[in-house]
Amino acid sequence: MGLFSRRSVGPLGPLGAEDRQDPAISGNGRFLASVLEQGGKAMVVLQGQPGGQTVALRHLRGHEPHSSPSLSWNGRYIAALVQQGPERVAILEDRATGKLLRLPLPNGSQPARLSLAPDGQRIAIEVTEGGQSRVQLFDLTGQLEPDLPGGLAVQGGPSAP
Amino acid sequence: MRAPSPVNRISHKLGLACSIAASAGLLSGCMGAMPTPMAALNRQLAMAGTNRAPSLSGRWLAVITGRGGRDQVLLLDVAGNAPVPVPGLNRGDAQPISVGVDASGERLALVRQLEGRTELVVYRRSLMSLQPIPMQPAGVPSQVTMRADGKELAVQVSREGLWQIDLIALP
Repeated sequence: MGLFSRRSVGPLGPLGAEDRQDPAISGNGRFLASVLEQGGKAMVVLQGQPGGQTVALRHLRGHEPHSSPSLSWNGRYIAALVQQGPERVAILEDRATGKLLRLPLPNGSQPARLSLAPDGQRIAIEVTEGGQSRVQLFDLTGQLEPDLPGGLAVQGGPSAP
Repeated sequence: MRAPSPVNRISHKLGLACSIAASAGLLSGCMGAMPTPMAALNRQLAMAGTNRAPSLSGRWLAVITGRGGRDQVLLLDVAGNAPVPVPGLNRGDAQPISVGVDASGERLALVRQLEGRTELVVYRRSLMSLQPIPMQPAGVPSQVTMRADGKELAVQVSREGLWQIDLIALP
């Protein structure tokens, strides 16, 4: 059908075939985050678009498996679920300042997915508690500067996936 | 002296946890204060039943809710703290899997199972119209997110035993 133009996100390495999951695209379309299965690890990879160059993330390495990345409008903020010891935790990295926000969850609940509002002022986190899923919203106003349309993209340095 | 509120107690614990984490080199660089739960909206969500697969954009939150054994897409106006109608989006014989919404609340993308097939559709709220988006090359969609300006979808697709990601521009 000719209505839709489409492209596949290219492979990151020379071998071609890779498992890529959990896509998230920034509001301005300049960044794509996804989870790459490599060497038994699930890692968030951030790529510029449309070129596909990888962009370094400061806080995620060493806390695999990663899941459910989400990006703000200009890609300044990236939120994801990561592993810290026995716990799954929701974190948010500010790529402009290098700072990290760890998002609190009710005791006994496990985060399953999250979605960051494009302006970075709210986040929705799906948690499971006693086998039941529920979504909780958090207000980030006052925690984060808004990342609004027309703002500057944070370029960041290249990184090996 | 008044006892600290639950939020303040959690905030204090979070700050402490961040300090410990920073000193241990774990997820260091925590910001100081803590996000505030949006209590009224969280109550709305709890009343809707179980809910999952959130997509937050602009003033809109789309989730898949389950009540009475039936799952459906629920669109909430976060600013107005109320659900908004999405006529023609939900079907009794369809199982929603993943949903994405744009920042204007006009377009929703949905992966759903219907009549034994998994399909990707885009819903336009002002038109109450649903448009199927074929997978080319053939594949089975699983997760979808929509760019905040509604111009592009990022779709996780199963092809030949691998998960791939397609970017689909919307007219």
